[in-house]
Amino acid sequence: MREALRQAIDEEMTRDERVFILGEEVGKYQGAYKITKGLLEKWGPKRVIDTPISELGFAGLGIGAAMTGLRPIVEFMSFNFSFVACDQIISNAIKTYYMSGGRFSVPIVFRGPNGAAAQVSCQHSHCVEAIYANLPGLIIIAPSNAYDAKGLLKAACRNNNPVLFLECELLYNDKMEIPTEEYLLPIGKANIVEKGSDITIVTHSRMVKLCKEACIQLAQEGIHAELIDLRTIKPLDITTIAESVRKTNHAVLVEEGHIFAGIAAEVGFQIQKHCFDFLDAPLARVCQRETPMPYSKVLEKETLPTVERILYTVRETLS
Amino acid sequence: MQEDKLLTKPFFDVNRNAVLQALGKDALCTCLQKMLLIRNFEIRAEAAYQHGHIGGFFHSYIGQEAIQTAALTLLGPQNWFITTYRCHAMALLLGATPNEVMAELYGKATGNAKGRGGSMHLYTDRMLGGFGIVGGQIPIATGAAFSCKYQNQKNSLAICFLGEGAVPQGAFHESVNLASLWSLPCVYVIENNQWGMGTHVSNAIANAEHFAEKVAAAYGISFYRLDGMDFTNCYGGFDAAFKEVHESSRPVLIECIAERFKGHSISDPGLYRTKESLKACMQRDPILIFKDELIKRGMLTEEAYKTYDKEARDRAIAATEFAEKSPWPDPISLEEEVMAL
Repeated sequence: MREALRQAIDEEMTRDERVFILGEEVGKYQGAYKITKGLLEKWGPKRVIDTPISELGFAGLGIGAAMTGLRPIVEFMSFNFSFVACDQIISNAIKTYYMSGGRFSVPIVFRGPNGAAAQVSCQHSHCVEAIYANLPGLIIIAPSNAYDAKGLLKAACRNNNPVLFLECELLYNDKMEIPTEEYLLPIGKANIVEKGSDITIVTHSRMVKLCKEACIQLAQEGIHAELIDLRTIKPLDITTIAESVRKTNHAVLVEEGHIFAGIAAEVGFQIQKHCFDFLDAPLARVCQRETPMPYSKVLEKETLPTVERILYTVRETLS
Repeated sequence: MQEDKLLTKPFFDVNRNAVLQALGKDALCTCLQKMLLIRNFEIRAEAAYQHGHIGGFFHSYIGQEAIQTAALTLLGPQNWFITTYRCHAMALLLGATPNEVMAELYGKATGNAKGRGGSMHLYTDRMLGGFGIVGGQIPIATGAAFSCKYQNQKNSLAICFLGEGAVPQGAFHESVNLASLWSLPCVYVIENNQWGMGTHVSNAIANAEHFAEKVAAAYGISFYRLDGMDFTNCYGGFDAAFKEVHESSRPVLIECIAERFKGHSISDPGLYRTKESLKACMQRDPILIFKDELIKRGMLTEEAYKTYDKEARDRAIAATEFAEKSPWPDPISLEEEVMAL
């Protein structure tokens, strides 16, 4: 996964000299999670820029640079730190194109790990997608594997809108074969990971892995679930979701983030709107419970979605 | 702290004769006309607001005209311009027509931002905005300066106006720190009108006496203190500051001591100031100071001044008529341009 993200950044910097990356420890330290390893050596300090711990300042600086002709990639060491820069992201990056009558677009990518890692407690574990997805004017991408990550990050760098590119620390070590040559994946297109006819499971990012495991167990029970990886949260590919639900007549929505007003709530609402006559059971959600993330691994496991909770919810929906 | 203790140091020493001679009669009169346009535009817009044609927030630039007129007269279109929500003047100075600015205030389709921004969010090709969050524009300006440096545009800089009320914000300190750290060609101009809404600067900034000079020293950048009521002092000071930025490729901090003749916004009756102190500050009207200086030097007559004032008034009135006649935005256009192509 790290290599896929690095290839995407490196290829886009090669392709377009307006692309540069800035953030905490992206240069000499080689990246807090080593995503930018080797990039300073290759591109120099003009285009791989170590910032002070100053998220508001460097996020806003990136937005100003994007408004004036550059195409910055801003790395947040954790997306939790984007809250320090929230006003710049929301008031300036997201709203300026519309508010300026279409005069200034803001082609900027904010990327970094989102959501839970392992036992880092609540101030480093938040899933930010539901918070930002409420706002019109931005794109939110959350890849679940290295292939998608590379193709989508490259597409994000070429998009003329602000993009929140949500990675996952617990996926950084994942390995898979990906093309070393260039490819792009379309923004706004979900991926059907598993074909099935009995129930639709909609999820994104690391939860795709848990849902895959659940699908294997369900298959052994004779339940064929269709697993949809959103890949892009906003804009939401409701077409792919609705086509699936019209076929399976059941849906379970799985999200690492909190349940109240989460992404799953929005997906669920849109499913009932588009598939009301096709549903044979109420929609169900598996999300993080309504607690801040606790430190203890026993409690951490309890608040996050698990394969067991997914299996239980699917079985209950079908029963 | 005594309020007057904040202003005890002298302004940047400007050779007035040299400034006025270098500009010459025609350019000086053009500057006066710009200031009169801003003044008359604000007067007419405020009247339109009182008549219910304009809604939302409305922040007048009356009393501060000399500052941006001087600065922007010196800077060509290769530069980037950023300011606060008090942004009508900057848009007009950068070539937005009174018609399009007034139409934006009216929320009409012909407005500067198609009726989407309103009074606080005006733009030109080089004006990145009027920004509505106090201090929110400062990192944006710093990013524009970063662009100038990244693209090796040696004759370009970014100029960022802010009120002294933005100085306690983290956005200000983070921006100045980055600009100094990375040697970005950014000019930060604090228009110190001494009041953040109804809170005096002495109740907002610790160690407030000459705070701007101290901030500049703390971050290791040059500092200029200008008389914001005096066009000539502003022009000479900005000229020196911009030259320094071009030579050093370093940021500078400028403090313009100003007066806000009106309330913070149109809904502010200004009860926190005494009538006497407001009257005293209004005696230092930047337009009258400039006018008197030009008349004294034989560059302007009372008749010519009256003509300029009437021309500006007519343009402002015509702008209100244009705005009134302009169509409302088509509701069908509501969801256009949320996303860029």
